[in-house]
Amino acid sequence: MRKIIAVWITKILIVLGKLGGKKGSSTPGVFALKICPQILEILSKQVRSGIIVVCGTNGKTTTNNLLFSMLRDQGKRVVCNNVGSNMLEGVVTAFVSAAGIFGRLDADYACIEVDEISTVKVFAHLVPDYMVITNLFRDQLDRYGEIDITIDYLSRAVTMAGDVTLVLNGDDPLVAAFGIKSGKKCVFYGVGEDVGIALHETKEGRFCSFCGSELTYQFYHYSQLGDYDCAKCGFARPPADFEAKNIDLTGGIAFDAAGRRISVNYRGFYNIYNILAPISVLSLLGLPFDNIDKTLAEYKPQIGRMEPFRIAGKSVIFNLSKNPAGFNQAISTIAGDTAEKDIIVVINDNAQDGRDISWIWDVDFERLSDVKAHSFTASGIRHNDVMVRFKYAGLENTSDNGNVKEAIEHALKTGNKVLYVLVNYTALFSTQDILKHLEGKG
Amino acid sequence: MKLKIGHLYPELLNLYGDRGNILSLQKRMQWRGIEAEVAEYTLSDKIDFSALDIVFVGGGSDREQLLVCKRLGEIKSEISDYVGDNGVVVAICGGYQLLGHYYKIKDELIEGLSIIDAFTEGGNGRLIGNVVAQTDFLDRPVVGFENHGGRTHIGDHKPLGSVLFGSGNNGADGGEGILHKNVIGTYLHGPLFPKNPHLCDYVIQKALERRGFDTDLAPLDDKIELAANAYIVSRFAPSPNNCECSA
Ligand SMILES: [Zn+2]
Repeated sequence: MRKIIAVWITKILIVLGKLGGKKGSSTPGVFALKICPQILEILSKQVRSGIIVVCGTNGKTTTNNLLFSMLRDQGKRVVCNNVGSNMLEGVVTAFVSAAGIFGRLDADYACIEVDEISTVKVFAHLVPDYMVITNLFRDQLDRYGEIDITIDYLSRAVTMAGDVTLVLNGDDPLVAAFGIKSGKKCVFYGVGEDVGIALHETKEGRFCSFCGSELTYQFYHYSQLGDYDCAKCGFARPPADFEAKNIDLTGGIAFDAAGRRISVNYRGFYNIYNILAPISVLSLLGLPFDNIDKTLAEYKPQIGRMEPFRIAGKSVIFNLSKNPAGFNQAISTIAGDTAEKDIIVVINDNAQDGRDISWIWDVDFERLSDVKAHSFTASGIRHNDVMVRFKYAGLENTSDNGNVKEAIEHALKTGNKVLYVLVNYTALFSTQDILKHLEGKG
Repeated sequence: MKLKIGHLYPELLNLYGDRGNILSLQKRMQWRGIEAEVAEYTLSDKIDFSALDIVFVGGGSDREQLLVCKRLGEIKSEISDYVGDNGVVVAICGGYQLLGHYYKIKDELIEGLSIIDAFTEGGNGRLIGNVVAQTDFLDRPVVGFENHGGRTHIGDHKPLGSVLFGSGNNGADGGEGILHKNVIGTYLHGPLFPKNPHLCDYVIQKALERRGFDTDLAPLDDKIELAANAYIVSRFAPSPNNCECSA
């Protein structure tokens, strides 16, 4: 009975939340857990064919949403927290909104994105069959302490997860070592050739997780991702069960994997991983790939992932760049665009951004001096710090304006073809609103 | 004029944008026509301290710190001689902890260099947040960000500054960092030098003096750097004494 009451009240809260215009609230889940602490356990046990959890610093939302779309397009019924938060309460909200009013869940699969630190809490209620880890980068340091702490949480969570199969990015030595140490069944995916996009940047996981020696790399993709091995203890990039080969990054992305050619029109090398991971899961689940091309073609990258706008005849490209790995990837993409451009960088230091913004010094801003950019504008709460970073990177034509809207309007007045707006997390929705508004006016 | 900066083990100790500190030293020398050479050392390199003017040691995770401390133990006397000879050392976070006698975490004891009479022990929770500290040798506060689990006790040593906002060495005695001879140890990253050009210049000046160059550093246009400094001061430690209007 408590279960049914919990489902009812939560559903009402979800509807109320939607009326209030909230994007993916976790409040309903908080109430559901208070009324019926077993609600997630009860609902998740009703999933018929499999629960897949997606973790990792970068790319987990895209990976999880793509997996959801692929499963849905196979005609499966799927629970997904694609509009909710990725902490326990958001996961509960997703399950409750998928359940019927009598607390029955009609679902073949659940694919759930979980924040790494929340895995321990979530796994106390739900046991995944598959767990994807996309990568482990330095992110939001002051919230989590160091990367070792994240790994600690993940290993505690995995221990709770019975005979889960780990689906791991084998190009990341931290992820691969994590899998091997866990003793669980591991399946690896990776990009098996040098595509020549490596930057000069800080590499987090360059030391062997087993013996501490420096890893040797045959080639790098970005951050610590690449083909590595340890001369001392023999730890090396594990052979990939699912490997991307014959990669072509001109225009969109094309590559061979799982016995077929995949081709999409969105950009960014990292999207290869975001596609490869769900394909690996689909294959492990023994599902066909019938509609996969259609799914990928129809997939709209999330908000602020190189999201295009057209404002007053100018192309504006909007990107979330919230940590060094993501930011350096954005710079790589900008460097590949030969148009004359302007660039705005918006950095906030609200709680969700991480109060510590020292990571901007690990971003290769120096490389922006050579990308046909005519002006650089620093904005957001910490525009002062961004200006200092610009200065020491040797960038010219810099200015600052803490007001994001003004900064954008001003940059739109130049004669250059493209405007890039790079923002960190809490500036994401507000900046998107500004861009949508400006696009609507023109 | 030329100064040589020795960056110790950046492959291991590179947390929190340490690159920014090296970049600051380098640029601020170059803008004044002082040649700046940066040597990055790995654990297997032999370091000739007599050729160095500034030694920089950054922060790393506990695991990485352990690797470094083994190596430092082997070259302890060379570093001591360098410090005794007024060599300039800048040590941040993990690097700072390694200057003392030891750093104790859980059941593990990481032995330090004993260059300063200090020790560090783990405490409850990490001390994390923006910091504003007032020194007695600079005209404006030093700002940065701290994130450390260890509590450092510096005994009779003089702290780098007194905490106006934040936790500092141990969250209890109001001191931040240490200033001993030409050794600066601090928990402030943020990174330290880009937003504290006055402290960066102090370090460069000390290194020049040690080599017998008795010139004052030419002033630079620090509008951008000081705006970033003043923003942190006014946001976290607003008071008439350290308001930017005193400049
Ligand atoms: Zn090894």
